[in-house]
Amino acid sequence: MIVPLAHVLALAAAVFVLGLACAVMRRQLIMILIGVEIMLNAAALVMVGASAYWQQADGQVMVVLLMAVTASEVAVALAMVFYLRHRQGTIEADRFDRMQG
Amino acid sequence: MASILFYILGFVMLAAILLCVTCRNPVYAVIYLVKALFALALLFYLLGAPLVAAWQVIVYVGAIMVLFLFIIMILELAPRERPEDLNRRRWVPGLLVASAILGCTLLIIFQDPDAAAQGSAYFLGPRDFGAALFGRYALAVEVVSFQLLFAAVGAYYLGRYRPRRRGGEDLP
Amino acid sequence: MSETLLFLIPLLPLSCALANLLFGMRLPRLFAETLAVSGVAGATLLTLLFWDYAAGEGTRAVLATWLASGDVNVAFALHFDKLAAPMTLMVTGVATLIHLYAVGYMRQEQDYARFFTLLNLFVFAMLAIVLADNLLVLFLGWEGVGLCSYALIGFWYRDKNNARAGTKAFLVTRVGDVFLGIALLWLFALTGTLSISEINAQAAALAPGTVLALTLLLLLGACGKSAQLPLMTWLADAMAGPTPVSALIHAATMVTAGVYLLCRLFPLVSLSAAGMTAIAAVGALTALYAATCAMAQREIKRVLAYSTMSQVGYMFMAVGAGTVSGAMFHLFTHAFFKALLFMAAGCLIHLAGEENDIFRMGGLARRGPPELFWVFLAGAVCLAGMPLTGGFFSKDAVLLALFSHADPVYRVFWLVGVLTALLTAFYTFRLTYLVFAGEPRGAGHPHPVTWLMRWPLWPLALIGLAGGILNLPALVGGSERLQHWLGSLAGRQPSVSHQLEWQLIALAALLVLAGWAAAHWRYRAYRPPLDNRTARFLLQGWRTDQLVDLVVVRPFDAMARLIYIGADRALIDGTLKGLSHFTATCGGMVRRLTTGRLSTYLSAFAWGFLLILGWVLLALVARGGGH
Repeated sequence: MIVPLAHVLALAAAVFVLGLACAVMRRQLIMILIGVEIMLNAAALVMVGASAYWQQADGQVMVVLLMAVTASEVAVALAMVFYLRHRQGTIEADRFDRMQG
Repeated sequence: MASILFYILGFVMLAAILLCVTCRNPVYAVIYLVKALFALALLFYLLGAPLVAAWQVIVYVGAIMVLFLFIIMILELAPRERPEDLNRRRWVPGLLVASAILGCTLLIIFQDPDAAAQGSAYFLGPRDFGAALFGRYALAVEVVSFQLLFAAVGAYYLGRYRPRRRGGEDLP
Repeated sequence: MSETLLFLIPLLPLSCALANLLFGMRLPRLFAETLAVSGVAGATLLTLLFWDYAAGEGTRAVLATWLASGDVNVAFALHFDKLAAPMTLMVTGVATLIHLYAVGYMRQEQDYARFFTLLNLFVFAMLAIVLADNLLVLFLGWEGVGLCSYALIGFWYRDKNNARAGTKAFLVTRVGDVFLGIALLWLFALTGTLSISEINAQAAALAPGTVLALTLLLLLGACGKSAQLPLMTWLADAMAGPTPVSALIHAATMVTAGVYLLCRLFPLVSLSAAGMTAIAAVGALTALYAATCAMAQREIKRVLAYSTMSQVGYMFMAVGAGTVSGAMFHLFTHAFFKALLFMAAGCLIHLAGEENDIFRMGGLARRGPPELFWVFLAGAVCLAGMPLTGGFFSKDAVLLALFSHADPVYRVFWLVGVLTALLTAFYTFRLTYLVFAGEPRGAGHPHPVTWLMRWPLWPLALIGLAGGILNLPALVGGSERLQHWLGSLAGRQPSVSHQLEWQLIALAALLVLAGWAAAHWRYRAYRPPLDNRTARFLLQGWRTDQLVDLVVVRPFDAMARLIYIGADRALIDGTLKGLSHFTATCGGMVRRLTTGRLSTYLSAFAWGFLLILGWVLLALVARGGGH
């Protein structure tokens, strides 16, 4: 292990917080999705770090599965962005408030 | 050596992500994210996961991020830029990040090709990785493959051609 | 086994009613009419055929079990005895003639199948009352006649007034039915049986107070059906129905059902002296009330309707005085001459060009066939109680029974009866003079009166005039046939000296002549109707409708409104609305959380994440700051 696990985790946490901040603070759907991607990558970093720490393959396998899941999520999410833009003429997240209770 | 590289790359990645999060233009944001993901791929390599690092570049950077860019361009989400906006000061952070990552990459490739192997006791080769993935996690692979299929169908359904109605509303 | 054949008597009209109901409009008109008439005529013939079954204690016949549950066992059972047999004969006989008349009267009617179905059904229900062996079958018939009466009064239902008259009759008689129903259930609770003869047998064992209460309940039930005070308001309005209906239901048969009920349960009723007095009092009051109303009426059928009420009052007085034979005697003669009068009135209305108002008729003696005048006159003298007619003898029997009663209160009833007799003679001859005398005053074009409408009047006129033979008092050499026939069912018989009896007869005759004289003096030459307050008061039937409106309808309305506003709208609706408002308010408050915006949800997600992180941190600190 080249660095202590705690440093890897700290780095991942910082990345995750940045991603979360992006998702919460940006209003454009695209930017929210990018924030989600950042958070997912932080998670991937944690897994790879754990894999190295415990010397087990499972963490890396999880990352691969995570990539596949992310790919499908992105495909659907971007199709949705496309659809919403087509339908509503905007991708400002706050304009979509039809689900209001 | 490897640990120094780890901290440098970690710092670069954080900086790239910070730039990505803060910039207004989504195209720039995606580009910064691409850089951050490159850095992350190098980190993966340093942490003994070369195969994951390769896929990170291929799948994430090569496919997913390009998809983002496509959508941004199709929907014309990026603000129009005039020529005078492209001044040098805006090039600086991007260039810095890119060159740092490039430097690290070159360093890993030429200077210290076995850094990961020497620095860490753990290095997962493709054979072991494949054994783990298709052995214990075969079922998960199948499930994920189904999910990918469903996502493809869903994306197709959402993105299919819809004639506009006369009233301006789309058909559902 | 042949007793069961007695069921043919009521079932024949029922089957004809069903046939007409199902196929009436598809059959040729003549066939449907023949079916209706033959059903009733067949019942008449069967009654005559089975007459011997009534001898002795009568014959019981059971068709099938109706209800069987634990101790309750009620059968479709008939009791053809000496009281039921003549009543059956009267109902079927009069109904046959009226059916024939109706065939002529309803010639223009398109909806004849419904009419004859209801008429036949009515005869069935009436026969169920008359022949019932137990009170449940009687109640079945009781409600059946009420239903048919309702449907036939409102037969021309397109006119709202007719429909309302039918509804009124139904509702008012229903009030009486409720009391009858209570009496019925109470009797069952007391005796454990519904059989009339068993109830009568067990009646003596009941407590006097209970018997009085039961008598009053039965009286109220009878009042509803027989249009006695205080449930009499419907009968005058019931004249909105077709004339054959008025003749059959509201003169000859159904309105006497109350009298028949009291006669049937006479052994029970007669046990309570106070109850008997109440019956007589109701009869006396109604007789006088209806006679006064009849004096001021303008529509020919309303005059007859009030006279019916008045005559049924006599029957009640007779029951109250304890003479079943007197009541039945008057019931029979009245049925004949009143049916006759109504049917003749129908002819007269036709002749006057559908004119109801007697002040606009006039001169009909010369206008139509002369026989019409004679048959109407025959009915009128019977109603007025002209000596030697059937009505005279039967009314005299009632008055004699009242006079000879031991209780001095009955003298008051007798006086009322005498006064009513005077009034009856007056209004009857007033009617006759106004309709027949003088010049025609109406503008209506006369409608033809067919032979089918005319000849059923003759048998009725003859029976009405000669009705006295049924029960001719011994005083004038009669055999008191009905009284002997009824035997033990006849009730108390008056015993007075012959001299007193002659004096009473003379008084009655004198009263009739006085009434005639007054009418002759007043109406021989036409004079327009009085229009003072008294006349209006009487014309509106003592304003009882307004009284009922004031005492029953308006308080009911007010109560209903109160319940609607207070209970329904304020309490129930208020509670529900309050609950829903409360829920909606709570929901509205929660609703603000769900803005539908992604950013809100995302920040909520972030805050939740922070919360979990904080909790984990706290847990770590609590464990001793990790490693």
